[in-house]
Amino acid sequence: MVSEEKRREILEKLKNGVIEFDEDLVREAANEALEVGMDALDAIMNGLVVGMEKVGELFDKGEYFVPEVLMSADALYAGLDILKPHVRKEDIKVSGQVVIGVVEGDVHDIGKNLVKMMFEVAGFEIIDLGKDVPLEKFVEESLNSNADIVALSAMMTTTMLGIPKVIEMIRERNPKAKILIGGAPVSKDAAEKWGADGWAPDATNAVKEAIEMVKSLKKEVMG
Amino acid sequence: MTPKERVNKIFSGEKPDRIACFSGMGNVTVEGLKKYDYAFYEIHLDAEKMANAACTSYELYGFECAVTPFDLGIEAEVLGAEMNFYTHKGKEDIVYPTVKKKAINEPEDVDVPENIEEKGRVPVVLKAIEIMKEKVGDEVPVATYILGPYTLAGQIMDLEKLLKMSFKKPDKIEELLTTLAGMLIELGRIYKDAGVDYITVREMGAPTDVLSPRMFKNLIQPPLKDMFSELPKPTVLHICGDTNLIVDLMWECGPTAISVEQKNDVAKTREKLGENALIFGNIDPFGTLVQGSIEDIRSAVKKAIEGGVNSVWPGCDIWPAVPKENMIAFVEAVKEFGKL
Repeated sequence: MVSEEKRREILEKLKNGVIEFDEDLVREAANEALEVGMDALDAIMNGLVVGMEKVGELFDKGEYFVPEVLMSADALYAGLDILKPHVRKEDIKVSGQVVIGVVEGDVHDIGKNLVKMMFEVAGFEIIDLGKDVPLEKFVEESLNSNADIVALSAMMTTTMLGIPKVIEMIRERNPKAKILIGGAPVSKDAAEKWGADGWAPDATNAVKEAIEMVKSLKKEVMG
Repeated sequence: MTPKERVNKIFSGEKPDRIACFSGMGNVTVEGLKKYDYAFYEIHLDAEKMANAACTSYELYGFECAVTPFDLGIEAEVLGAEMNFYTHKGKEDIVYPTVKKKAINEPEDVDVPENIEEKGRVPVVLKAIEIMKEKVGDEVPVATYILGPYTLAGQIMDLEKLLKMSFKKPDKIEELLTTLAGMLIELGRIYKDAGVDYITVREMGAPTDVLSPRMFKNLIQPPLKDMFSELPKPTVLHICGDTNLIVDLMWECGPTAISVEQKNDVAKTREKLGENALIFGNIDPFGTLVQGSIEDIRSAVKKAIEGGVNSVWPGCDIWPAVPKENMIAFVEAVKEFGKL
């Protein structure tokens, strides 16, 4: 059993490695976590994810910009690759699936990829439809997969109106699915009007929103 | 005074009779497409359809310009990218062309071809400009736009890679942007020779939503400065998103005017840049022009003018689905509140 002091030291390294987009530091700390017998999920959730949450705050404050967030995401993945195979199956509380994609006409997938990462962290099975996805495809895949969550985004005003169409189609045929929407032009009002379950204006807020949604789903799933 | 005379006066810093209501970006509307029974995808591919569509917002609403093209793929195609035009879509669907296949993997792979006036859809745009000039060129300015080097880089290579390399390997990106700036200057000259009255450079990939002001200054600004010192005038630099922190850097790039969108507080921009800067903006093309009431549109126009814009521009391409009444109200509000 790893000492609390050592655990904290490793979590701190993982967190800082993500914040400072230092992939080497993250890899070193992740390997160290495994060597000392630390719980892999603990290292992910209380190290890597905490770092990414901090990155989101720095982005909101205007200290970090998109390139920094992307490099932090790379650092998180560097740790996740090492730690994830060691997460005990019984520790993955949610076994849901997420259908995720960028709506037709839109090829901006940076935000989508960041949200996807957070779902991966939380142990979801991801069905990534990619970008420029025909609207019907979201509905088909959500039905085929019995997904708990459908996450869709648009970066441009011109493609945004695909979102309410998809929501309507999904509500009709798969009313249980939670729908998370996002992207620069999508306002909170619009999200409410269209009946989405979650909304975020940009990638890092989407990450936060995804974490919240995952938590709430966990509660529901866990009863 | 014709719109053309008015806009010319504005660009040359003389006093026009009133503020103009025009744009340097796409402004075709569904009503315009209906006039000719065109599907949206057709107007990107055929010079005559492109030209006809480009003149419709002037013809239908008195919008004071005719601008072509309507998409952001012209330069990327010249460099070898492949576009998706969504030609399977019907007349009621508005889907803008997107890049289906990027042109390069690494920044050093970029290869600018000879004779770019013959490449991709450049000949289509050139022919469209010629038709537009014959059609409405005596009354309204005929214009076109080109991308900024950074935005073009994002069209021809993986955007995520571009953003990360901008941080990790700025030298490589700097080199790429210099090459692209050279190509864009040449394209601008070709368009000018075809007779456009002004050229807008759209560096939409570089607002402070995406990049830090420091990166703007170090990486984005130098090739833009090169462009504006070489491009035939008048020119406009348009950047969408948050720009209040960089308007001074935008103005330093040396365009004849800058254009900003609704996220920009134009009164602050005016204060920062002083009386002599030409500032165009900043009407929200979707929130206000499409979704807003007539009253919303009038107050947005009034606010932009009070904030000190020299011309009222939409913050981006006009959204094709804009209601006819809204476009008319938009143009009329500028006439009413823009008297000088």
